Amino acid sequence: MFGLIRNEMLVISGRWRSYIGFIGISVLMPLILWGFVYGSENIHQEYARELGESFMVVGSIINAFLATYIIMNALWIHIPFLVALAAGDAVAADGSNGIFRITLTRPVSRLKILTSKLIATYIYTALLLLFCALWSVGIGSLVLGTGDLIVIDKGILILSREEALVRMALSFAVAILVMFSVATLCFMFSAMVNNGIGPIIGAMLIIIIGYLVKAIPLDFFDRIEPFMIVSYFDVWLDAFRDPIPWSDIWNKLTILTLFSVSFYGIAVYVFLKKDITS
Amino acid sequence: MILEAKNLTKFYGLRKAVDGLHLEIPQGSVYGFLGPNGSGKSTTIRMMTALISPDEGEVVIKGKSVNQFGNEALNGVGALIERADFHKHLSGRTNLEMLARMDGTNFDRIDYVLERTGLSQRGDDKVKTYSQGMKQRLGIAQALLSNPELLILDEPTNGLDPSGMKEVRDLIGELSAEGITIFVSSHLLDEVQKICTHAAIIHLGRLITSGEMDTLLKDSELFVTEIRVSDAAKTTELLSSLDWVFHCESSNGSVKVNMDKARISYAVKLLVESGVEVSAVIPRTSLEEVFLSKIGSGSPI
Ligand SMILES: Nc1ncnc2c1ncn2[C@@H]1O[C@H](COP(=O)(O)OP(=O)(O)O)[C@@H](O)[C@H]1O
Ligand SMILES: [Mg+2]
Repeated sequence: MFGLIRNEMLVISGRWRSYIGFIGISVLMPLILWGFVYGSENIHQEYARELGESFMVVGSIINAFLATYIIMNALWIHIPFLVALAAGDAVAADGSNGIFRITLTRPVSRLKILTSKLIATYIYTALLLLFCALWSVGIGSLVLGTGDLIVIDKGILILSREEALVRMALSFAVAILVMFSVATLCFMFSAMVNNGIGPIIGAMLIIIIGYLVKAIPLDFFDRIEPFMIVSYFDVWLDAFRDPIPWSDIWNKLTILTLFSVSFYGIAVYVFLKKDITS
Repeated sequence: MILEAKNLTKFYGLRKAVDGLHLEIPQGSVYGFLGPNGSGKSTTIRMMTALISPDEGEVVIKGKSVNQFGNEALNGVGALIERADFHKHLSGRTNLEMLARMDGTNFDRIDYVLERTGLSQRGDDKVKTYSQGMKQRLGIAQALLSNPELLILDEPTNGLDPSGMKEVRDLIGELSAEGITIFVSSHLLDEVQKICTHAAIIHLGRLITSGEMDTLLKDSELFVTEIRVSDAAKTTELLSSLDWVFHCESSNGSVKVNMDKARISYAVKLLVESGVEVSAVIPRTSLEEVFLSKIGSGSPI
């Protein structure tokens, strides 16, 4: 199994599409941070208004943590896309390249091969988010410095530098698990077809439609919301509540895991029965 | 029997691509699987190698049903199906390493199979720099990787030039001599006749005939070599007396012979020494030709 996963990582690292996510994030982060440096006046004023005179903030308000927090909020549609970009090819590419003719004719079960592909996709997803976190907090610290994190959501929460770092780590850990569900969704489609683009479009459609349904305040939409995967994506925000709502986080992650298990189950069912005619 | 196909049937939609096929591949044979393009060879081979599942019937390899055991039944089987495709941005060697890693094959085998297929010099180059012939040889190399007892090759000479075809035929001969059973498909009669001990012929997914090559040569009209000569009557007389000529008949200026292909040059020498001028030796090469001419003349195959 380890060998199979290693093979898959080798293939992923050889695809140029795998680097789009990393390149995108590398370029985007400095740009956004640059925007913070030069456009920080507005944010400053807004925060000053909210906070009034009554708080003592250690360090700069506009710091690496706040920038990362705002970036995470803003990139919530982009990151799934970058994950889907890699997951779409996970199974389909081997079909369209004819690789299955040399791999699936060996005495290794299809279940093992499929599972190793999923694990490799997860590793890629985790690496992408880790890179995102390190890059954002990393160059953020260089450009903006660190300091207390002030979260204005339902009320104002001021987190000390150390606490902010812990919450950041927690939220990225949770975000990685959320992205696993996106990866599994796209992976399921990838197991069904022989081209890498269809699964990306399929997964993104489901996510975008999900966001729309969430955004439109119709009674019927509210009722189907619990059955949509996107309804649980914002669990990473819970890491910035006080006290941390562990049971909420646990419940949402459990539901996301159930989604992933179902997607994987369908992928297995389809792939084990699939006729390889390409 | 190392491999048996029983009543193998596969539909693509409403079209029956393979229709109630029975095959028995004896241990140690070089088994030719002959049929014109589109006759269902690749579909049959995909069922043998667990790539697609039959709608009826089953394939049994070394006593294990492929339907039941899936890929696990392919222990000791090496296969090359249609075109050989690899990860193009990786080297031939890296591709083989990945495949070896899958079933725990020792990496030492990689040098051996590269050497065997004449790729030692180019193993470290990326596959995208390979010619069609080299890719095909790498395809055979990966089939040999796990030291198989049974090699299943689907038109391994497709897309190769005549010298490439000969190299593959020679390699098949060597491997067979080492005790590997080989099942090889082709649409070229001539090719199968040269290398196989057994053959089966299919057309439109149905088995036309099968058995040992010698028997087929005797009985089948399909394996005919046409010899153009100055004296047809004398040629018929001379050749008919030889025990490796199975059938011989003359028709306006040429003689049609069922014979062991390996002895053609000897036959020509014999004729020339007896004062018969030989202007052409034309082996039936393509099954399409044969079937077309049969269908054209309205006679049953
Ligand atoms: N994936 C497919 N979908 C539909 N029909 C197919 C498919 N593959 C092959 N066929 C049809 O099945 C028949 C047998 O094809 P094939 O097994 O590839 O023949 P061969 O290998 O002898 O050339 C042909 O009529 C072909 O058109
Ligand atoms: Mg074919």
